[in-house]
Amino acid sequence: MMKALLEPKMIMTIALMGTIVYITYLTKKNTTASDFFVGGRSFGWFTNGSAIGGDYLSAATFLGIAGLTFQLGYDGAYYAFCFSIGLTLLAIFVAGPLRRFGAFTVADFLAYRFHSKRARLVAVAVVLAISGFYAAPQLLGAAQILSMFFGTSYEFGIIFTCVVMIFYVGIGGMKGTTINQALELWIRLGAFVVMLIAAMYSGLHYDKILAAINSFSGPITGTSPYALDGKDINFDGAAWTGTGFYFPTFWQTISMTIGLALGTIGLPHILLRFYTNPSAKAARKSALMAIGIASTFFLLAVFLGVVGRAIFISGTASEEVMRDLVLGGNNMVIPTTALALGGKWLLGLVIAGAFAAIFSNLSGLFITSSGALAHDLYATVMKKDITQKQRVIAAKVSIVLLGIIYGALGLLVKDASIGHLVALAFTVAASTFTPIFILGIWWRGMTERGAIAGLLIGLGVSMWMIFLPGTLPSFLQFKIPGIVTVPAGFLSVIIVSLLDRKVPADVNDFMKRVHSKESETV
Amino acid sequence: MAEVGSNDYEYVEAGTIDIKDLPPLDATTNKIMKDELTTGFGLTVFYFILIFSIPIMNWFAPEFAFKKIWGGMTVTWFVTTVIMMAMAFIIAYVHTTLYEKRIKKYEVANK
Repeated sequence: MMKALLEPKMIMTIALMGTIVYITYLTKKNTTASDFFVGGRSFGWFTNGSAIGGDYLSAATFLGIAGLTFQLGYDGAYYAFCFSIGLTLLAIFVAGPLRRFGAFTVADFLAYRFHSKRARLVAVAVVLAISGFYAAPQLLGAAQILSMFFGTSYEFGIIFTCVVMIFYVGIGGMKGTTINQALELWIRLGAFVVMLIAAMYSGLHYDKILAAINSFSGPITGTSPYALDGKDINFDGAAWTGTGFYFPTFWQTISMTIGLALGTIGLPHILLRFYTNPSAKAARKSALMAIGIASTFFLLAVFLGVVGRAIFISGTASEEVMRDLVLGGNNMVIPTTALALGGKWLLGLVIAGAFAAIFSNLSGLFITSSGALAHDLYATVMKKDITQKQRVIAAKVSIVLLGIIYGALGLLVKDASIGHLVALAFTVAASTFTPIFILGIWWRGMTERGAIAGLLIGLGVSMWMIFLPGTLPSFLQFKIPGIVTVPAGFLSVIIVSLLDRKVPADVNDFMKRVHSKESETV
Repeated sequence: MAEVGSNDYEYVEAGTIDIKDLPPLDATTNKIMKDELTTGFGLTVFYFILIFSIPIMNWFAPEFAFKKIWGGMTVTWFVTTVIMMAMAFIIAYVHTTLYEKRIKKYEVANK
């Protein structure tokens, strides 16, 4: 027992959990809804920029991007490029105006823009759908790490992570969540930097390992004991470093680019972050900082995926590393590469980093969805006259409920790819909230019916193309269907609004509020 | 509608109006929106030209895209995973800098 507790991975994980418990304890006083949902709007650009980075760089980045690069080569690296675009577009079109608007939740934007309970309810449904899509792969990552490195079952991993999140978000609210997210970001960035140094020290330079992979063709030595058919796995390095390995046509690539590039603007847990800044200026600076961090992170994740592939084909890795790379699948490339590069201590640091990524992102999803349930649905639509204290209690109850729902979703995605599942969540967001926020902020002609039609059609078309591709003709079957779903969302809003013509009477006041310099420092 | 500058939004019932009867925006807000949109749209168009040039290069000029520049590093691998990561930050930085300049200009004009 004592020996197991002194393992580096156990020490680092316990240290991370202890820090989270301490911060959560320090920030547990949430007396008003503003404290609980937006941290009293008290966080400066550095803390908030770190927290946005923490929210954005989920398990999909920490584990998924390197895993996709390891598995798909250039096409996997292309995912990272597409993920990197969205925050910049968000900073340009949405960050400042959204903060000037100043509310608690994403659905508030629709409710106040159109004075509409219907729009709020539809927005709640879309927030829950996107958050569910996003939460399931985070839980998958947590459960796989616990299963692979701590020997627990997949089901235990899901339940354990949900219980931690209920405590973490339920007690700390947005204050605890933001500080924890900011801290966790630097833990995982630190883990990546140490891995980069270890790779360089081992002579695994980018150009050199890419050349080695490119020239490799044939069976990979040492994989047969773990392969399903008992034979060494074949690998074609030239195909891996080229395009078309996963996305077989030009239009498949373009479709993914559109879905992922525009997805960030519609991610509820990222949008919510901009409400927590004290001013629109701080919101823009937060976004800028998050973009710098995210770009660095993506660059390192792709490099580490290539390092993992180079170690895999080198024939010099230990049996433990080869076993984990074959059996762990592409989601576990980062921890296994850390083990190969720096032994147990680096593995411990990376496991703590992976948990930090998962907790950080999940906490953002929990707080966003609890806002949708407790603030948008319960406090605003169902039961209007409740005290601030009752609102906070409703939020905490909704967090327990979400823990159960997300846990159930996590159990359904056991064999999926984390990076790809998150890419689908991006596509749903790009087809629903992205048109609403861009057009709602910049176009006075948008109407309530247009917004509701955009959300419903964007969500419906996305779900159809993701879950029922077999019912579509082959030219409409996309791995990431952004090329169809995003225009469907935008066009629905525009066409229905143009037909409807009934805009809110106070739309000019709204535009003045979200754009004028008087509301710059709230 | 809550007052501009107040801390949180308040829900106020408001009716609808036909778009053709909607009065124009006040001159200041209109100018701010126009300036902001011109800058943002220009930068976005430039950014998207760069973004789409990558798949176009990969699929229609593969001999150039997959030309090795050093070791196994190809043109497209370098542009996609290094240059474009930096570009995401540069575009946002230029936008924020231009925005801050505009805010200062408005403040000077007000004084």
